[in-house]
Amino acid sequence: MNRKKEQVVITVLGANKPGILAGITRAIADSNVNVEDVSQKIMQDLFALMMMTDFSTANCSFEDFQSRMQAVSEQLRVKVFIQHEDVFRFQHRL
Amino acid sequence: MLFSLEEVIETISAVGVETFDIRTITCGINLMSCADSDVHKCAAKVYEKVVRVAHDVVPVARKLEKKYGIPIVNKRISVTPVSFLAGAFTEPTAVPIAEALDKAAKELGIDYVAGFSALIPKGITRGDQILLNSIADALCCTDRVCSSVNIGSSQAGINMDGVYRMAEIVKEAAERSRDRNGLACAKLVVFCNAVEDNPFIAGSFMGPGEAEAILNVGISGPGVVRAALQNSTHLNFGELSEVIKKISFKITRTGELVGREASRMLGIPFGIIDLSLAPTPAEGDSISDILELMGLEKTGCHGTTAALAMLNDAVKKGGIMAATYAGGLSGAFIPVTEDAGMCRAIEAGALNIQKLEAMTCVCSVGLDMVAIPGDTPVEVIAGIIADEAAIGMINHKTTACRLIPVPGMQAGDVVDFGGLLGKGPIMEVGRHSPALFVRRGGRIPAPVHSMKN
Repeated sequence: MNRKKEQVVITVLGANKPGILAGITRAIADSNVNVEDVSQKIMQDLFALMMMTDFSTANCSFEDFQSRMQAVSEQLRVKVFIQHEDVFRFQHRL
Repeated sequence: MLFSLEEVIETISAVGVETFDIRTITCGINLMSCADSDVHKCAAKVYEKVVRVAHDVVPVARKLEKKYGIPIVNKRISVTPVSFLAGAFTEPTAVPIAEALDKAAKELGIDYVAGFSALIPKGITRGDQILLNSIADALCCTDRVCSSVNIGSSQAGINMDGVYRMAEIVKEAAERSRDRNGLACAKLVVFCNAVEDNPFIAGSFMGPGEAEAILNVGISGPGVVRAALQNSTHLNFGELSEVIKKISFKITRTGELVGREASRMLGIPFGIIDLSLAPTPAEGDSISDILELMGLEKTGCHGTTAALAMLNDAVKKGGIMAATYAGGLSGAFIPVTEDAGMCRAIEAGALNIQKLEAMTCVCSVGLDMVAIPGDTPVEVIAGIIADEAAIGMINHKTTACRLIPVPGMQAGDVVDFGGLLGKGPIMEVGRHSPALFVRRGGRIPAPVHSMKN
């Protein structure tokens, strides 16, 4: 059966240091969320990561996923934002 | 990738740094099915209906905040003007309805419920009279109920009996809430050309032309516009307008998304988005700051009305394309105590009540959250209301007064209402009396709608 995609954008911002990408992606994999695209930049010393994910395969609710990612972001001392893609689509695409 | 990293960061920083939010989701509920000649039975029906229809408004709003990462600051309810129900009451009071609305709001976690209202542009019915006589009591014995009265329109003229009565009620409400600096008046609006689908408090009510229930959305965003204009000194007016239009489009588009989704989840039709820039006392979330970034040394200096006219128009032009249905008040608000920049302009001597009045000719919505000396006579308050109403009547726009004669305070004192209502200086009002004029009685006839000069 074709599951309807539920695209969620995960953005991570913080001071650059080793292990951020690894820590974040591990937590995403643990929740069985599928990463479809990744864009990462170091802007001056700011680590900026954006991932397009499909949430339809997740093993937890959206709220639980946000809490899990929040806990990981606190360990890594970065900020993580998890938002449905519609908010970006509505703002930036006609 | 569907979006660039820059686009995503722009959206995130609008919320995190520039205080962008959805100001309100307002659920309008028609109360006509609650009619009863017994006010207490009617109140019980009102409570039951409001709790039933709006049961999921707060949980749905919270879900959407998480889903989109955009705060929805207020969850509100508007209802049919209570005067419509009051006409049938045997006992001449509508206070039990206000109490029922307050109880329902508290149970549901709703911030404010509005519609303790009457529409009297041309005349006053028995139901209107009962409502008017209940306003001061209702505002003082409830926490979350807001009241508004429409005393004029471009079609009917201005009901000057209504204006004078409202000035008395404003004074009474201030005196009765003396221990809270006249706070009851912050929940009371006097309108000319009131609209039926306004999602913003305190002047919201569910118009008789609306459906059984409806969902209206009010956006915020002065901080985002301000950030966009931060490096704009080199732009000419055309370019400046473009910047504001683009940012307004994005802000409104987010409101459209939230409104559509909330409507789907609640099973309540989506009414309108109100294209208003609504400031808050938070630093940077100020209309005044935007005007000063446009090139004014201080808000209130000559040029302010032109700057505000341009800002208001550009916000609408950008927003209209983003919204399926625009409505409500749709204009930049300039509530004085709620806008820290406005308060600074007053304290600097740049902005006075006369200039504020001029500014209301070109923007939404009127003399809003204006604190005046507690000993201002009823006749002067009636004069201020009549002036605002005249601006609305002649210019076919909504105007309003939310005046707070703060008991015991004089011009220059500072009053603090707390929270979103903010704090600000008491403004000086004119010293000469319009008593003979405002006491004439009757109605100012409707104006001609041609020969527009």
